[in-house]
Amino acid sequence: MAQAAETPAIKAVDIHKSFDGRPILRGVSFEVYPGETLAIIGPSGCGKSTILKILCGLLEPDSGEVIKETHDIGLVFQGSALLNSYTVRENLQLALRGRKLSKADEEEQIRKTLALVGLADHLDHYPSELSGGQQKRTSFARAVVYNPRIILYDEPTTGLDPVMSTIIEDYMIELERELHAASIVVTHQYSTWTRTADRIIMMHAGRIVWTGDPSEAVDSDNAYIYQFAHAKREGPMLDA
Amino acid sequence: MSNGSSTISGNDLRRKSRIPNPIAFLEAYFGSGVKMIGLALILLTKTWSLILRGRIDWPETVRQCEMIGLKSFLVVGLTALFTGFAMSLQISRELVLFGADTAIGGVVSLALIREIGPITAGVMVAGRVGSSIAAELTTMMITEQIDALQVMRIDPVEFLVVPRYMAGILMMPTLSVYAMFIGLIAGINIAYGAANIPAATFLDSVKQTILERDFVVHFLKAFINGTIVTTFACAIGLSTKGGAEDVGIATTRSIVWTMTMIFVFNFVVTSLTYAPR
Ligand SMILES: Nc1ncnc2c1ncn2[C@@H]1O[C@H](COP(=O)(O)OP(=O)(O)OP(=O)(O)O)[C@@H](O)[C@H]1O
Ligand SMILES: [Mg+2]
Repeated sequence: MAQAAETPAIKAVDIHKSFDGRPILRGVSFEVYPGETLAIIGPSGCGKSTILKILCGLLEPDSGEVIKETHDIGLVFQGSALLNSYTVRENLQLALRGRKLSKADEEEQIRKTLALVGLADHLDHYPSELSGGQQKRTSFARAVVYNPRIILYDEPTTGLDPVMSTIIEDYMIELERELHAASIVVTHQYSTWTRTADRIIMMHAGRIVWTGDPSEAVDSDNAYIYQFAHAKREGPMLDA
Repeated sequence: MSNGSSTISGNDLRRKSRIPNPIAFLEAYFGSGVKMIGLALILLTKTWSLILRGRIDWPETVRQCEMIGLKSFLVVGLTALFTGFAMSLQISRELVLFGADTAIGGVVSLALIREIGPITAGVMVAGRVGSSIAAELTTMMITEQIDALQVMRIDPVEFLVVPRYMAGILMMPTLSVYAMFIGLIAGINIAYGAANIPAATFLDSVKQTILERDFVVHFLKAFINGTIVTTFACAIGLSTKGGAEDVGIATTRSIVWTMTMIFVFNFVVTSLTYAPR
């Protein structure tokens, strides 16, 4: 859980970003502490994936700043983004490149991680030979295989069956507890943000419109989170 | 290389090509042309700076060499064979008229070593390999595989471009020499069939005509072609963004760029080395 005395593992300060003159993020700030999980929720297209890409350095913000305590950062891509011409094992090996592990340690780490996401039998399969959910889990395994200090999850449980979702959520909780990792999870899935998050921010039209605990989300009278959590058609997000 | 601002996507040209104004059309083409050359030069510089620091993934380079060789072997051979047939037939016909039929071998081999060998191999590799590199890297761009590499702190130029470039400059000379030999075999057959010149006479004439310099120019051209094909194909692949339809556009772009550049540079080298003084 968050400890105010610590310095944040990652901090976004007043991030602005436009694409082709269209503002997507208009001043987003938050911080995440080691051992804490922040969930980012919000309507489709509001810039959630964009903020994750800015946090891990794939995109430059137009203004604002990202302060990280480490470059050791893992990202689970929304679209898996596995390397097509490499097997599951090779995809994970790439993530472990430059970690100076012995061959045996590397192999063990890969097997352990894949076993935890239920893919122990798919070591030598190519991404095209996997189902969508299996690709998603491989992508998850690839992001966490080297135990990064900061982990960004872009819809890690979307497209998974309920049992597998629970397994992935448990794994996320375990990583947070055992490794004291700082996590940010973008998700539409109710179980994921209620189970894994310590804190939630809700985005709309490029800004943070609500912040709170998972327990507060359902009962909050904030119009945005009310509409979102109760899946109402009427509300301030009509233009989303 | 891969950030949004320096992107020439298929989108730009597609949208602009709907505008009927020819000036705007030319402007769009000229602008994107200059950008493309800039991108290719930047990529080539990065590639060489990695190569000079020894950052070469040899197993991957060998794999890429195999791919290039495998993909090009048949097409280069066939085109060289038929170009050789047609060219030798023309040359034989003219030289027989002048009574210089013993010189057929020399003239055919000069054409092959100086022009036809490198051009045939270059153009076929551009069509067969360059296009598939462009398609592969574009697909990797739009499916965020390149982003994934960057998150894993793997340099896409070192990981993807250097092995392809190395394979290009190693395999292109091999394929050029191969094209030259196939062309020579075609020439020997035509000279014998159409002008009654025995193979021994043909080869004698070859030996008397070809100089060491011709080999140097041959390899120089092949090296340049290898550089052009892989650099433009990779630069186009790594600068394309958008959707699945951009893969096709990138492929076409790569073929047009690499082939045009091969012909331009072929002439530049020829004019620098063989112009009459
Ligand atoms: N590279 C880009 N170039 C242009 N526009 C972009 C780019 N990336 C994202 N956008 C635009 O930015 C907006 C936010 O995209 P983003 O992917 O961050 O949304 P999101 O909140 O993750 O949505 P979803 O929940 O559907 O995944 C969208 O309108 C999208 O069209
Ligand atoms: Mg998204």
